[in-house]
Amino acid sequence: MSPTAFGVLLVVVSTMVEGFGQTFLKKSSLDLDRRRQWILVGVAILIVEIVLYSAALRFLAVSTAFPITSLSFVMVTLLSRWLLGEEIAPLRWAGVGLILVGTSLIVAQA
Amino acid sequence: MTAGARIPVRLVIGLAVAIALDTGLQLVWKTGIAELPDTTSPWELLVAVARNPIFILVALFMGAQLVNWLKVLDHADLSYAKPFTSLSYVTVCVLSVLLLGERIAPLQIVGIVVVVAGVWCVSQTRRASLGAEAEPE
Repeated sequence: MSPTAFGVLLVVVSTMVEGFGQTFLKKSSLDLDRRRQWILVGVAILIVEIVLYSAALRFLAVSTAFPITSLSFVMVTLLSRWLLGEEIAPLRWAGVGLILVGTSLIVAQA
Repeated sequence: MTAGARIPVRLVIGLAVAIALDTGLQLVWKTGIAELPDTTSPWELLVAVARNPIFILVALFMGAQLVNWLKVLDHADLSYAKPFTSLSYVTVCVLSVLLLGERIAPLQIVGIVVVVAGVWCVSQTRRASLGAEAEPE
């Protein structure tokens, strides 16, 4: 695997990891008995995300890595559906699609 | 399905604060990273981070962001709230032009319009399908 491909893989994995971290943070507002535990796990996972993303920047330019991070909006939506059972209306999916395109356009030109 | 008009004020404020904190965090972080020495040694980087007070500001922004975000999630689905944070890409881009004098590319303006349209779509969906905040259609 080339260094660039490895860097891209790290960024994609970091967006997945963020999805899980956010899911645990949301879980803290649904399971109040264990609120603190969910928050701690969520924060720990988000720290792993920062480490993965920082590692990716050793292989990729920020201008390449940053647009890929907008995938986190898709990851969070998917995991909200699968792990939390949230209802995702078609209009919400359309919105997430537009955000993915829009944020990529903004940062790809930066 | 169109619940856009019924968003509680505290949720609107929470989302606005989340975007503001995220914008501040990104701008401060950007400044801090730019001041780091050009080295590949993780230890040297760690020492540089510990010595630069701007990273205390970064940590404060992150702490405030977490506290506010947990409050937001108490009142809305994760898949509803998270897309709103994409507006910080817009605010960072606009502030970079206004404060740092950076130039904006035509495609970035298209991107801003597309992001705002996407957030508007999300805002028109039901904000809570789980927990005590869930309401019947």
